[in-house]
Amino acid sequence: MADKILVSISAPQVTVAVSRRDRLQDCIPFQNNEAGLAAFDEFLAPHAGVPVYFMADVVEEDYRFETLPHAFGSDRSELVQRKLKQHYRNTAYVSAWLLGRDSGKRRDDRYLISALTNPNLVTPWLQAANTRGMPVAGVFLLPIVSAGLISALRIRATNLLLVSQQNGGLRLTFFRDGQFRLSRITRGDGAKVGGRARFIADEVSNTRVYLHALRAARLDEQLTLLLLDRDDTLIDATDAIARDNPSLECVRLGRRRLADGLKLAEPLLDLSADAVYLRLLALRAPESNLASTGVTAGFRRHQLRRVIYAAAGVIALAGGAWSGANLWQSFEAHAGKTETARQTALLREQYKEVTRQYPTAPASAQNLKRTVEIAQLVRASARTPETFMRVVGAALDSIPGIAISGLVWKHGAGDAEAVTAAQRTAAASPGAPASRRQSGIIEGEIKPFRGDYRAAVATIHAFAERLGRDSAVAEARVIKLPLNVDPALALAGNTLDSRDQAGAADFKVLVVLKSHP
Amino acid sequence: MIPFGHREFQLPLLALLVALLAAAGAVYYSDMLLREGLRQLRFEEAQSREARVRLQKSGDEKDMIVRYLGSYQELQRLGFAGDEQRINWLDGLRLANERADLFGVDYQIGAQSQYPYAADLNPGDLALNHSVMTLRFRLLHEEDLLRFFDLLRDARAGIFSLDECAVKRMATAGTIRYQPNLAAECKLSWITARPRRTEARP
Repeated sequence: MADKILVSISAPQVTVAVSRRDRLQDCIPFQNNEAGLAAFDEFLAPHAGVPVYFMADVVEEDYRFETLPHAFGSDRSELVQRKLKQHYRNTAYVSAWLLGRDSGKRRDDRYLISALTNPNLVTPWLQAANTRGMPVAGVFLLPIVSAGLISALRIRATNLLLVSQQNGGLRLTFFRDGQFRLSRITRGDGAKVGGRARFIADEVSNTRVYLHALRAARLDEQLTLLLLDRDDTLIDATDAIARDNPSLECVRLGRRRLADGLKLAEPLLDLSADAVYLRLLALRAPESNLASTGVTAGFRRHQLRRVIYAAAGVIALAGGAWSGANLWQSFEAHAGKTETARQTALLREQYKEVTRQYPTAPASAQNLKRTVEIAQLVRASARTPETFMRVVGAALDSIPGIAISGLVWKHGAGDAEAVTAAQRTAAASPGAPASRRQSGIIEGEIKPFRGDYRAAVATIHAFAERLGRDSAVAEARVIKLPLNVDPALALAGNTLDSRDQAGAADFKVLVVLKSHP
Repeated sequence: MIPFGHREFQLPLLALLVALLAAAGAVYYSDMLLREGLRQLRFEEAQSREARVRLQKSGDEKDMIVRYLGSYQELQRLGFAGDEQRINWLDGLRLANERADLFGVDYQIGAQSQYPYAADLNPGDLALNHSVMTLRFRLLHEEDLLRFFDLLRDARAGIFSLDECAVKRMATAGTIRYQPNLAAECKLSWITARPRRTEARP
């Protein structure tokens, strides 16, 4: 499968080359007439979908150097289109190639405007490719393509005149500082070697005069003449020209140099004079493309398809590489795990061996130790109501007139006042505050009680105060009095009630003991 | 404008989609394998570290066993280490009641549950459980209460912690000499400890 089809169109002949894997595979000449076109159409049949590059080597070409005001984007393309229409109304094959900025104050944009003034030379061949559905990459002029030779063969010369014998005549292309300036083609090639030398020398002289007239180069400037000698027939001619024109530096590019420099098979050089330029076109298409965007739409789609395929390939490769790296690391991890497991087994075996000398134990050493320590802690933290009872007994001894009816003692989170089931559950739950403390509630009554609530309340408060003074007590407070004097509650009674028949003066006192008395 | 809807883009876009899916699938699957491999490796390394440390500390371990084995076995006999010994508790109750000359003890034992103050004791690999026992009995005097629990502790039926006690004065009508004056209700926790998981014993 070909990568590119390259077509060189000249007045007498059309040369078609096939490029595959960055190599020019074949060079086939077709006559530039109806028969040649039919043969070309037949040739294209097996190459459907392959992009086609057209190159024109004809007299009907035109080049202009223009400066336009510096602009960007749509402004620039509008300016350029206007300029192209101004110069070329009868052809669609025009191109404006931005060369750079002018050195003047305005820093205008410099363009090389080129055109194929006779579109009929190319159109039938281009249509043949279009009919086959082949993407057209572009239409290029041979002199513009030939600029690639300077970089491909690393030729250094300030003023360079490239001379080559083409199908349509002798092609002379002038470059200054490696940049295209002018090209012309003349018919004829001289009959004999001596005649050829004279013919070439004459055409070079004519070209120099022409360049001088155009102010492209002075006559006294050093000029390097580069002769393309694909069949090594210009050796003597080169010598003759050099001998007769001392101001010229004559350089001949022979068959071997061309073949090696351009990686081109030597037999292809025999087939066509265009082989060198077709190879250059295959290497790199110039930016100056005469084909309109409508003509190259198919090629852009072709390029986009290739980009998508390339993206798919890159993604697949990246995915494969990533997966490969993952699998490799996974394999490494597995190998590491196996090795570690082996070492672990070895260590366990060694440990087992050591533990055979241990006394037989019902649990691990750590659990033995912890169990014993926890048992000690539980015993040490256990409490009885003894302290609480001692505190209550001491207070009763100090404050007479109090009879105890009940005691509640608690050792846990929260105090003894938390008597509801919900409070108990909350206090005992695993997430509850873990600090345990002793607390108790003393339930008692004032005896004897004859309705003197003031005295009874004073006694109860004195009792609570006495409890609070004990060194083991953190807090003592009355939580229930015989008479509720809370202003928020209602209070009822009768002042005629006999003092002998008064009710009981019962109360409750909450006592919280210190954690560490 | 790029004509992606054009027929000639169907195949490339399909190829791109297939490549994307295949790459994503391969990366996802291989990443999963890698994560699992690394997880297993880390686990195995932790096991290896543990085994190495254990081997290095085997001398200390032996000393620890020698030091604590006797006490532990005593706690086993006592019913603290290992399973609950409820029969021992009842025997202990009976013995304490007899020795304290009480008027009989009513008991009620709740279901075993996690000891709520276990976190204070830093149990580590041990599970600390308790069963709450509610006792109801009558007393001649407050001191009988303390004496009863001292005797219960001396009975060595297990390790318990007294949680709360409520003592009420009873209404006494007659003048019988050995008549109970007080009614008591107490709650205590019988605590047990055992390893959370089956362990490799040396």
